[in-house]
Amino acid sequence: MELSKAGFKGKFRISASKNVRYLFLIGLIIVVSTFFTFINPKFLSLVNIGILLRSISVLFLLSMGMTFVIITGGVDLSVGSNVAFAGAVGVLTLQATGNPVIAAIVTIAAGAAIGFINGYFVGKLDLSPFMITLATMALARGLSLVLYKADAISVTNEAFLWLGKTSVGPFPIVIVFDILVFLFIKSLLNRHTFGRDVFAVGSNLKAAHLLGRNVNMVLIKVYVLTGVMAGISSIITIGRVSSGQPWAGLNLEFDAITAVVMGGTSMAGGEGSLVGTIIGVIFYGIIINGLILTGANPYFQSVAKGLILLIVVVLDQVQKNRSAE
Amino acid sequence: MGKVSRWLRDNNIIVIVVVTTIIFYLINPRFLSGENVVAISRQIVPIGLIVLGQFFVLVSGNIDLSMGMSSVFFAILLGVFFGMLGGVVIGIIAVFVVSLMLGAINGYFIGKVKVPAFIVTLATMFIVTGLSGLIIPPRQMIFLRGGFFKFIGSAKLFGMYYSTLILLVLFVIAWFLYNKTKFGGYVIAIGDNEENAKLVGINVTKMKMIIFMISAFCSGLAGIILSSRMGFVQPGLDGASIMMDAITAIIIGGTLLQGGKGTVGGVFWGLLFIGIINNSLNLLNVQDVWHQVFKGIVIIAALVLNWAIRKQSGIEAH
Amino acid sequence: MIKTNRILIALIMCIAIVTGMAFANGQQEAAMAADGDTLDIVFINDGHVAPYHVAWLGGFEDAIKAYNKEFGGITGHWLSAEGSLEKMIQQAEATINQDPDVMFVNAINTKAFEPLVKKAQDQGIIWIAVHSPMESADYSFTLGDVTNGYNQGLALGAYYNGEANVAIMLGQAGNPSGEARREGILKGLAEYPGVKVIAEQPADWDTVKAQSIAENWYTQFPELDAISGVTDAYLYPSIAIAENRGIEDVTFWGYDGDIPILEEMKAGKVGCDILLSGTREGWAFVQTAYKVTHGMKVDKVIDFYTPPVMTEEVYAMVKANGFPSDIEVYMVDKALEVAEKGYLEFGPDSVK
Repeated sequence: MELSKAGFKGKFRISASKNVRYLFLIGLIIVVSTFFTFINPKFLSLVNIGILLRSISVLFLLSMGMTFVIITGGVDLSVGSNVAFAGAVGVLTLQATGNPVIAAIVTIAAGAAIGFINGYFVGKLDLSPFMITLATMALARGLSLVLYKADAISVTNEAFLWLGKTSVGPFPIVIVFDILVFLFIKSLLNRHTFGRDVFAVGSNLKAAHLLGRNVNMVLIKVYVLTGVMAGISSIITIGRVSSGQPWAGLNLEFDAITAVVMGGTSMAGGEGSLVGTIIGVIFYGIIINGLILTGANPYFQSVAKGLILLIVVVLDQVQKNRSAE
Repeated sequence: MGKVSRWLRDNNIIVIVVVTTIIFYLINPRFLSGENVVAISRQIVPIGLIVLGQFFVLVSGNIDLSMGMSSVFFAILLGVFFGMLGGVVIGIIAVFVVSLMLGAINGYFIGKVKVPAFIVTLATMFIVTGLSGLIIPPRQMIFLRGGFFKFIGSAKLFGMYYSTLILLVLFVIAWFLYNKTKFGGYVIAIGDNEENAKLVGINVTKMKMIIFMISAFCSGLAGIILSSRMGFVQPGLDGASIMMDAITAIIIGGTLLQGGKGTVGGVFWGLLFIGIINNSLNLLNVQDVWHQVFKGIVIIAALVLNWAIRKQSGIEAH
Repeated sequence: MIKTNRILIALIMCIAIVTGMAFANGQQEAAMAADGDTLDIVFINDGHVAPYHVAWLGGFEDAIKAYNKEFGGITGHWLSAEGSLEKMIQQAEATINQDPDVMFVNAINTKAFEPLVKKAQDQGIIWIAVHSPMESADYSFTLGDVTNGYNQGLALGAYYNGEANVAIMLGQAGNPSGEARREGILKGLAEYPGVKVIAEQPADWDTVKAQSIAENWYTQFPELDAISGVTDAYLYPSIAIAENRGIEDVTFWGYDGDIPILEEMKAGKVGCDILLSGTREGWAFVQTAYKVTHGMKVDKVIDFYTPPVMTEEVYAMVKANGFPSDIEVYMVDKALEVAEKGYLEFGPDSVK
């Protein structure tokens, strides 16, 4: 008990070695970006940076939620499907009421509902997060297909589309929104007792229980938060494509997990940081975007993606191992 | 606590499989016809091979995401050797050699350099996916016909396919390895607590190399079976869904994603559960838009049943 | 420490190799772009690994080479969204930023691309919608999926003289091409009240899933006469499983015109196929791009010519059973020739 107390206290202080790691990762980002610019000078154009930001805006939000889930030692495979499901509920509400505010609230609530199911099963019934979120992944995708009758629905309500659609010059405004969400969540994780509970649950479920923390409630809150993120993401996606799409968010859960792990959060739980996740999201986004600009054959792109990913994480780890020595 | 409830707690996956079987049988009696049982037993073979390799990886607290796509890669590799040199034996040797090399590479980065397994195997997954398209001669589909492929794909012994029997034998070997040798104990120890494992003198680096070599070798076997059953290879085989099915089977069979716990028997029943679900979708002719909903509900029902059994047996969470 | 250094060196070498390869590729394109009179074609597709995709990419690359050799200054590349809508949007945005001359986009869902079509057109890029037509696009390259499916269904019904038990393997739920093909097949089969559709299952364009479905059907329906597929990819495993199980009396009805399936027709297992042929379509893209950028007349909706293919015997048989003689049917040998040699119909000679 004492040990785990000390354990999660220590993790809040951003240590010097952690800063070194971030700097190193940022250095790697610069190297990789230079490499892409070298191949295609358009990579550094303002328009392309705008495209990059727009493409990671959704991944950014989902990865924030995913960071919490992974810190508790869980995983949420349902977020990608949830983006489609929450969107379906939202678009149908918009059609029925014509009111964008109600539609937005319902969208987020629908996302939160899937999150609640996940949290309830994981927290209260103590079931494997992998299994239950795998089931809700299928369920949410399936319900979105059923609700949309397997076809997209066009959305014309400008107010509802505003968040995902509006740009200032080449830059999407949604990125400002993302930063606000980040600041809010960061304060939640680092200052609020909720953040401490999340780490406590991840470090050691039993100890957290003994410390009088309500493990079930913490887990439910974490999964609901991820669901809310999926709901917001679906509003952004709908704005981006001016329509509700039954196959939106396909495989986004894997992109999110990858970004979180690249950012240094451990799949074993109890350890992780949001700043790392941001770096991970940007890095992953740059790799995907840069590869498109190479114009290489898709098979070759796949090999290159794997090699770059491997090189980056190996270099990162070698540096980490060194500073540990 | 009674004997029965303890048995139930430890083997609730068996109850789940039995209950689902009965329900599907009541809906469509053909579900339990000899032919359908044999069909299921054959469909689970590629997934089952991935399950065997992935099981040791998961118990050691790691994950191998490359297994699905690499089995497709090995199928293509076998096809390329067979198509170019016409030799099955040399193709199979190539698959074994390359798979062990791939496993060693994964194991090296994970064990020695200590990069998280999730990322390393994700990266190797991308690499083998791309290589699958690059090694196959352009615009060609390679057909694998003839003695060996026909034998693996369709020969039967006592009414069961040889591939199924091979899988069963491998399950027995895995059970022996896991329960009766030091190796199994080491894998559990590493998954339980790596630092402690090191302290008691286990060479964790070497063990991880071996574990990932086993998993890659299993992908190689799965690739061989896959190519024999299909009779042709092309990069479009969907390895990703096989891998997700395999991980699902292992975890529903009672293995923890965090490592350190799991039984070979549980995993075997988990595999049957997956085979049954996939089969039932066709058997009940579920309409296309409802497929995913159906799958989700069946898994949730199984999980709730699992929880109810545990609760009945009086086991508090944690 | 020495070991770590060695890893680093190995990694740096890897980077060097990747850089070199990618750089060479970039240089080549930069050289092309510098030349004023060029034609840069980008094709964004939803995937790249199905048998049809492999052939398609091959035909596209061959055609680019042939046209470039003949006319000079022609480049092209292919992007795969791997089924992800978000990825496809990003690829389209990045491509517009690249400012090519012609973009072919096989949209996962056309509604999602309306805003981008406008953006591309404002920049003077010609947008060609692939398979699912778009009102706003400059051109739409369509296959006539419903008609093709109808022809397949009609041939199937005629082959069995109006009495058969059919199972249909579908695409992914909600995929426009798959839905249109299914609609056509059902419409064709509906012409014969005696034909029963005993099962319809989605195989999600995935050959492994198709294999299990076929196996389950053989077990479940001993009365099964024919399997109809919305893509040839489903036929390979279905035929292989039937052979392995010694099932002789089930026939297969395809869609795509994959060369190995056309060859399989000669063995008598495949009744009818629809001649799309990936190689052919790849060639047709480059021809279309050349035509629209060189002031030749092109219809706004380009209907790719996709006749049904049968053997002489099957054709004679279905015609005797009432298959309309005004539907043009290619015989296998002719289909194989045009499928293999895309330049016959769409080569540089066709635009001179």
